[in-house]
Amino acid sequence: MGLEKLKTVLKNEKTGHTLELKTPIIGASGTYGYNSEFEDFIDLNCLGAISTKGITLEKRPGNSGERLFEVKGGLINRIGLENVGIDAFIEEKLPVLTEKKIDFLLNIAGSTIEDYEKLAQIANENNIKAIEVNVSCPNVKQGCLEFGLNPNALFELTRKIRMNYDGFLVVKLSPNTQDIRALATAAEQGGADCISAINTLRGLGVKVDFVGDKFIKKTVQGGLSGSCIKPVALYMVNQIKQSVKIPVIAMGGIASLNDLFEFMAVGADAFQIGTSNFIDPKICFNLAVKLKDFMDKNNFKDFNELKGAIFE
Amino acid sequence: MTLESTKNIHKGIIKNVEKIAFNTYAIEFFSNLNRVFPGQFISIYCPNTVLRRPFSVMDFDENKNTLKIIFKLKGEGTDYLRNLKEGNNIDFLAPLGNGFNIKKQKALLVGAGVGIAPILFLRKVLNERNIENYFISGFKTEQEVIKGADKTFVGGSVLDEIENIIKENNIEIIYSCAPMIVLRKLSEIANRLSIPVQIALEKVMACSIGVCRGCIIKISKDNDIVNASVCKDGPVFLGSEVVWD
Ligand SMILES: Cc1cc2nc3c(=O)[nH]c(=O)nc-3n(C[C@H](O)[C@H](O)[C@H](O)COP(=O)(O)OP(=O)(O)OC[C@H]3O[C@@H](n4cnc5c(N)ncnc54)[C@H](O)[C@@H]3O)c2cc1C
Ligand SMILES: Cc1cc2nc3c(=O)[nH]c(=O)nc-3n(C[C@H](O)[C@H](O)[C@H](O)COP(=O)(O)O)c2cc1C
Ligand code: FES
Repeated sequence: MGLEKLKTVLKNEKTGHTLELKTPIIGASGTYGYNSEFEDFIDLNCLGAISTKGITLEKRPGNSGERLFEVKGGLINRIGLENVGIDAFIEEKLPVLTEKKIDFLLNIAGSTIEDYEKLAQIANENNIKAIEVNVSCPNVKQGCLEFGLNPNALFELTRKIRMNYDGFLVVKLSPNTQDIRALATAAEQGGADCISAINTLRGLGVKVDFVGDKFIKKTVQGGLSGSCIKPVALYMVNQIKQSVKIPVIAMGGIASLNDLFEFMAVGADAFQIGTSNFIDPKICFNLAVKLKDFMDKNNFKDFNELKGAIFE
Repeated sequence: MTLESTKNIHKGIIKNVEKIAFNTYAIEFFSNLNRVFPGQFISIYCPNTVLRRPFSVMDFDENKNTLKIIFKLKGEGTDYLRNLKEGNNIDFLAPLGNGFNIKKQKALLVGAGVGIAPILFLRKVLNERNIENYFISGFKTEQEVIKGADKTFVGGSVLDEIENIIKENNIEIIYSCAPMIVLRKLSEIANRLSIPVQIALEKVMACSIGVCRGCIIKISKDNDIVNASVCKDGPVFLGSEVVWD
């Protein structure tokens, strides 16, 4: 496909851990399935990677009731981490990824530190090259506050995962915080090789109808994604970049080439595309081609050079 | 239901937009889609909304390369569609989901409101295959009636005379698309009479290809209750397998 110039390497300079990406564009967790779901639309070998649906130790049925609510410029979801569980992932989903040579990050989620430790061990035993840790999950032992909202808890969580996992460790930060810098630093000090951000913002969708003589209300509380969160994501990536040395994978409302430039301007080293996949299932490939065409036309020899030119 | 065909993004060129009833429109467009079955749907890109909008295929003509949908005006997505003009392009994902599993049995077709869309397509295919069928439809008001059924109920419920109709016509199988509440009642009646019923469901969708798990319903399978996606596992389910909440 001629996308070779988009090759990029994410590197933790301190430990030397690296993640090679064929392109800097990754399908975001929860929007790209487990393995080959998008193969009807694009050649998955032209992707940097996919981040799998968040995997928990046990299989989870997810939330009951309405799970989606569309808002201006965005989407609120409360899927509730429906997933097949790590055993079924390893048995049924992983062989497809391997056979089809699809690069991926295993996205993991848990309700206790022990859950994450076990998931990390299993990833290690199965030689999974990269994991992305979703820390926007309620910590059952600490009163169900998100792991990712307390720097001490996040440091501890990252450290414990690190002790059980030798591959490339990405910590995905929650934006529902006052102090993203402290969280990014905690993840780095705990041993993360890379930060990805942002996960969804908390949101409430409300619909009120007046039928006959009665108000009919419908509410959906969940995670907000899509283009309306892009300014928050840009802010967060900018803050994170100023506080850590490890690479940053940026996401939040990316839908166009210009969005990639905006995130590069605040220091993104790679990108994830989430909600936009629902509108254009070819977008991860299309953006890679647009990026390459831009680089060809303007004589950038590789992605690093382009990134440097924008971020300087 | 296991009808398979590869899905993709298609381009359509509007042939005609027509108002067919109160707040109800039909759009016919040319496309290069080569196969689609009754009960399958398409998901149209609307520039003024975040997500695509799903619509059942109401007719497909493989000789003329045309597809037809009918829709009720609801919000911004359907407002965009209503204002399309001849020659305009649309972008749609298709074919999506699994359609009706057509049996060689005497069929009762039940369509209520715009739910009549996939049933009109199904009726055409049943007739082409010489499968005997009887088609009833229901609408809230006279102004909303979409033609095509053998018997149309206005005001009351499409189910008002259902048991008599089933008996009089020696019905062996039922196919339906209607509001959830109607489908639920219909399934209960069909289960009681031990007649198989296939129902086409609707749920708000994001990806429409089985990835996001946003459109989940519960179905019973092998003595267990499991999740099924309306967009990929459905939208057609057996009335007997759906677990109603
Ligand atoms: C498989 C399937 C087939 C359908 N076939 C038809 C059809 O043939 N004709 C027709 O008129 N309508 C059909 N619908 C419903 C149609 O998709 C909605 O009426 C339409 O999306 C409304 O969009 P809007 O922007 O005009 O309305 P809005 O009310 O602004 O939509 C807001 C949100 O709610 C969703 N939504 C609203 N109503 C429904 C609904 N009933 N089902 C699912 N999502 C909904 C929209 O997609 C959007 O995300 C179908 C739905 C599904 C899931
Ligand atoms: C339907 C849906 C499901 C998601 N599931 C997960 C998940 O399982 N794990 C996770 O870390 N993030 C999940 N996310 C968050 C996305 O990966 C991403 O961080 C977020 O949507 C912001 O990017 P976007 O605006 O491009 O969608 C989900 C998002 C959506 C819309
Ligand atoms: S809409 Fe995404 S799984 Fe059905």
